Amino acid sequence: MASQEKITVHNIADLKNTSDDAIPNYLNSLKFRQDNSLLDTRLALGYGAFAVAATCFLWDYKLGFEDTKYYTAAAVALYSVLNGLLTFWIGSVEKGTVYQGVAADGSKISIATSTKKLVPTYHVKVTTTPKKGSPQTIELARSFTEWFDSQGHFIARPFQTMLATTVPLIAQADPMRAAAGAVARSEELVNAGSDVLDAILAADATGADAGGAGKKSKRRKA
Amino acid sequence: MLSSLQNPRQAAAQLLNFALILSTAFMMWKGFSVAANSPSPIVVVLSGSMEPAFQRGDLLFLWNRNFLAETDVGEVVVYNVRDKDIPIVHRVVRKFGTGDKAQLLTKGDNNLADDTELYAKGQDYLERKDIIGSVVGYIPFVGYVTIMLSEHPWLKTAMLGIMGLLVVLQRE
Repeated sequence: MASQEKITVHNIADLKNTSDDAIPNYLNSLKFRQDNSLLDTRLALGYGAFAVAATCFLWDYKLGFEDTKYYTAAAVALYSVLNGLLTFWIGSVEKGTVYQGVAADGSKISIATSTKKLVPTYHVKVTTTPKKGSPQTIELARSFTEWFDSQGHFIARPFQTMLATTVPLIAQADPMRAAAGAVARSEELVNAGSDVLDAILAADATGADAGGAGKKSKRRKA
Repeated sequence: MLSSLQNPRQAAAQLLNFALILSTAFMMWKGFSVAANSPSPIVVVLSGSMEPAFQRGDLLFLWNRNFLAETDVGEVVVYNVRDKDIPIVHRVVRKFGTGDKAQLLTKGDNNLADDTELYAKGQDYLERKDIIGSVVGYIPFVGYVTIMLSEHPWLKTAMLGIMGLLVVLQRE
């Protein structure tokens, strides 16, 4: 369970990365089929560029500068192009997308997240595209304190509830969270102090130990 | 921190960031090289033989193309002595003939004698191909770090130690 790992609560990158990692865990457990093509393209471009640089280094090392300078010039040009494409891909295509997937009913979902410097708020942009119909975008901005306790434990339940109650497509896949969220969300959890979150964490931990074989307990693991 | 390593794609993406920093630095260097047509377009002055023009530790920018004029008397050039890979920064003081086969003699501004002593055995002058660039710009003193590191090897150990400590403390 990821919630057993502690992070530094003052580190916004840590908060964001831990939350980002929890999204695929949660959605994949709900039978969403993850589509990794964005990341795969980024890896292909990046490692392609690196391979060009490595090859250039090798021939420079073996043969010296004079004999290889035209190849080196070509390699520099190719490297700039690949790096430019990579920058374009990260900045204009991925735009912070951390998850893309297909739900059981064929609807597509794409989730992009971002944070602003020094502000502990998680900005989530969810775009769902039904099989027939136009895409719908839901944007939310929540404080990280809703699912991290003061010690820096990630607590899956409020995090998953946040997604399930705001995104209809996730609510369909996880009606239990969506319903539970409707009750809990009313007031307490949103304004909950660290002691309440600790209590939820304890309950989740014991629940997982006791019902390790149960299907439902699996869902809480994120 | 370590949890991301469980996902091979995430691990590959993190490794990529590191790899791209290295390769971008290398390709920028190569880009300068190709533009200046010099195997080493930036050098650090290692001796005081060109004082007062250049001090030890000055960073020099080289240009190795003759678009407008041939390398001529008065230019400060960097050359490699045949079969030795130590770049030397000195001024051209004599030139006989023109073109690629012109015979060039160099001398350090602060040296009493010219460079015939420094050249390889049987080499009495330089040709254009021995020169890896003429100095076109410089930044004073910033190259001194590399001199310190090569003259006091324990500094390398100390620097690695400090960097390692930072990595441990930052947990990045």
